Amino acid sequence: MTLNPPKRPEARWLLPLILVLFALQLGWLTWQLRGDFQDLAHRGWHHSWGTAVREEDPFYRWVTTLKWAIPPQATYVFLDNYEAGKEVEARYHLFPRRHLLLLPDSPPSLLFYTLKQEQASYLLVRDAKPPPGPGLQAALNLGAAKRFNIPGPGLVYRVHPRLIQGGFYD
Amino acid sequence: MIEATLLLMRLTLGLTGMLAVGYVLATWLAPGFTRLERVGAGFGLGALVVTLWMLALSSLRLYFSLPLIMVPLLALAGGLLLVIKLGRRGHPEATPMPLPITPAPYGLWDLVFIGLLVALFLFVVPRALMYPVWAWDAIAMWGFKARVFFLRGAVDLSGFEAHNYYPNLVPLLVTYLSLWMGEINDLLVKIVFPLWGGAFLMLLFGMLRRLGLGRTLALGLTTFFALNGITFTTHLHIVYADLALTYFALGAVGLVYLWLTEAAPPGVLPLAALFFAGLPWSKFEGSPMAGTILLAAALTLLWLRPPRLARRLALLAWPVGGLLLGYLPWRLFATSHGIETGSDHILGFYLTQLLQALPALLIALINPTLFGILWPTTALALVYCGKKIFTTPILFLALFLAGNFLAILLAYAVAPTSPSEFHLYLRGTLDRLLLHLAPAAALVIGEGVNELLLREPSPAADLHSPT
Repeated sequence: MTLNPPKRPEARWLLPLILVLFALQLGWLTWQLRGDFQDLAHRGWHHSWGTAVREEDPFYRWVTTLKWAIPPQATYVFLDNYEAGKEVEARYHLFPRRHLLLLPDSPPSLLFYTLKQEQASYLLVRDAKPPPGPGLQAALNLGAAKRFNIPGPGLVYRVHPRLIQGGFYD
Repeated sequence: MIEATLLLMRLTLGLTGMLAVGYVLATWLAPGFTRLERVGAGFGLGALVVTLWMLALSSLRLYFSLPLIMVPLLALAGGLLLVIKLGRRGHPEATPMPLPITPAPYGLWDLVFIGLLVALFLFVVPRALMYPVWAWDAIAMWGFKARVFFLRGAVDLSGFEAHNYYPNLVPLLVTYLSLWMGEINDLLVKIVFPLWGGAFLMLLFGMLRRLGLGRTLALGLTTFFALNGITFTTHLHIVYADLALTYFALGAVGLVYLWLTEAAPPGVLPLAALFFAGLPWSKFEGSPMAGTILLAAALTLLWLRPPRLARRLALLAWPVGGLLLGYLPWRLFATSHGIETGSDHILGFYLTQLLQALPALLIALINPTLFGILWPTTALALVYCGKKIFTTPILFLALFLAGNFLAILLAYAVAPTSPSEFHLYLRGTLDRLLLHLAPAAALVIGEGVNELLLREPSPAADLHSPT
């Protein structure tokens, strides 16, 4: 069971010591990956891999529905924090639709400018729970944004930039 | 079921085509390479050539199609094959060394190490294939751009912002395989990452053999690298460009090191040049990394003053040329298409960030979850090499590592991140930056083992000898 005849005296204990430490860290690595092993085995057994993994996520199911609601040549504004990591997912799945990101609490000036300048025709809000931000609220008050009834974790609005004629104060 | 089988067959054809191009190129440039080394090198070189050619097509305003991509490349590979055959007929001595008729039987330790590597791939292959693209940068950049390029049939970055100035080897590779499949299938396409990891390990194994390690020790050290911590394993199944950069770093550092120690097969520098080209074409960090390799090589030569110093220094023009080959096409394309280089890497110098990054770096080096005992073993190997660091080309590896640790700290000191988010930035990037340097650590450990066993690093002569 020799790896190679050791020449330095300390090689007799140093190489086996490194091997033992490596074996211990291998155990640690296996422990770290135990969740992955379990999930792989579970999915393999139940044939729930691939798209099935995605469809477990309500956000993905919602975005897939949006593919049918938003035409490929349309531009949409996505209201979310970049850090949430969901707007990049929306952009990934909704391409070639043009994607613009603004914060949910964007003021009317910024939101209206973006909608008009970029000729955006849809407005998506990632999280339906919080009340609308000032920009979106102003657009709703003007009647420039109308909600689509698409079930899911977020909200979808059809926007009419030509109806935005000012009428706000930041 | 039939559809899935056909899809797999098309994907396999795409991978085979790419590998064939790279394999022929590796055979032409380094005829002394073993078959395993040619496969290891051929995979990455194929990816490099295919994607650079796709960039060239976009520069010529030609839309991607398989005939347009494959016919010229396969013709080139065929031509090279002819040159190789004719060359061998004229110079029988150029034929690579034949393998021994009866290779040494595998011992227990060989089987243990091979078993561990097989277990690794039994985990990462299904992990890559069963889950869709999920990691942040894959969704936000690499995988997203691949989707865009496939749908637009060109390198067209208009209408969105996803670090558009980043190089495009990985997105174009995914696009290429999607073209073969005829659709975007972000499950199957991920097979390229475990395969690339396999190519990396083949190349590493070959280099360790050339450093003089026997088959068992080289296998053991390859396993030691692959299964030390979670970082390498993770990058075998996510669509990130860091595995590509790590692979090209191994090729560039390893081949230059073998050349410095005179353990490399003839004609290795032109081959190394292609690995240098892969660095800037994989990631933005590739160019400075290539610079540190060149600087370390030049300083080592100047310090050691080997015979024919001036000639050897001049030969470094090969990797410089490789670096330009990988850097210039994308820079010219980006400039001509109005793609500006972002300033998200450099803004000012923040001492507080440097002071935060230093302990974080030290902790990451000893964190068993990230890299196991790879880095502490590297430190031990350097200690064992002792004075040899200053009297042999091991100096090159030490300079490369030291220079890059310094570069990492400097990069963190100039990163424009808000103070509240800096610790998150560190946590999200440090493991990847260390992964890029890890191949050099494996080579240092190889030399440490040589030193421990009092073995002199030997040229490639005993590469095929039974162990």
